Amino acid sequence: MQDLVLLIVSAALVNNVILARFLGLCSFMGVTTKVDTAIGMGMACTFVITVSSMADWGVDHYLLVPYGLGYLRTVTFILVIAAAVQFTEMVIRKVSPALFKTLGIYLPLITTNCAVLGVALLLVEQKMNFVQSTVFAFASSLGYSLVMAIFAGLRERVALANVPRLFAGPPVGFITASLLALAFMGFSGMSTN
Amino acid sequence: MNARLEVSHEPALAGPDIAESTARVVALDGDVAWLEPVPQASCSGCVSAGLCGTKSGNAKRMLAKRFALPNDAALRVGEQVVVGLSQQSLLRASAVAYGLPLFTMLGAMVAVSRVTMSDGPTILAALGGLAAGFGIARLLAGYLSRRGELTPHYLRRFVASGEGEACHPTSSV
Repeated sequence: MQDLVLLIVSAALVNNVILARFLGLCSFMGVTTKVDTAIGMGMACTFVITVSSMADWGVDHYLLVPYGLGYLRTVTFILVIAAAVQFTEMVIRKVSPALFKTLGIYLPLITTNCAVLGVALLLVEQKMNFVQSTVFAFASSLGYSLVMAIFAGLRERVALANVPRLFAGPPVGFITASLLALAFMGFSGMSTN
Repeated sequence: MNARLEVSHEPALAGPDIAESTARVVALDGDVAWLEPVPQASCSGCVSAGLCGTKSGNAKRMLAKRFALPNDAALRVGEQVVVGLSQQSLLRASAVAYGLPLFTMLGAMVAVSRVTMSDGPTILAALGGLAAGFGIARLLAGYLSRRGELTPHYLRRFVASGEGEACHPTSSV
């Protein structure tokens, strides 16, 4: 159990997807204007990253590795991720059409988010088993959601501040993000993974 | 229209705790306007979005996302409007759709992995947990829908903002 806890701390805080690996920056800047929406988007990303990473692990473990097709990994993973997103949409539509419509209006598509592919490639590189892979993907996406929510809170404050015109918008956003990344560097040393 | 008519006549929402998004009027049916959300990806605010294909919406998928609103503002076909939903409702909706199935899936997976170290039963348990989570989500979504928490409200007509910024959100989400 301790190894799973260490894996969670390492993936969520020490090697954070956004602040340490610089993945998913587009949604990080585009969706983080309100805390509640950022949390909603974070939940959607957490679900998609976890489910698609599980599917990617299965495809890699039972198809690509046994048949020596490792060179097709990136292309295959993109296909699997797209299929996982479509599958998620389809299931939610069947589960509740009203829920599907509401989420369709307010939470953007996440098919092209590079964080999804990045996490899948990372867990294959580290040769984890199924449980470790799933926990790693979940923790990575949890770290992604955490940073999204914190950054949305900071941007809500920054929006009220008197920012020089030259820095208004994305520039001050990136400066804030870099300060947040510095703060997260404080977690370095908690885990060696 | 093949979608079920669910029109909310509740008073319009206002205030900072509203999630806003843009929708286009695609049809009028008496005093009801049918709208389609304007396709957006998480990075659709970028001016290059049209080049990488993230902004194009699948027609069939967009049809499934059509929703109805009372046409109190004399909307016309082709107009874009801003629709709103309370942030709390959006948060509850995403928790029901994504958080709950994920929680049951991980719970089932970890519980079975404590018993057996084999990957096969663990994968089956994860899938079972996911299915159970979606089953519970169905019940909760029905409850939220009956309370009118999943129905967006008309806020105002959409006014396009100025161009020039490389990356900016198209809506408040």
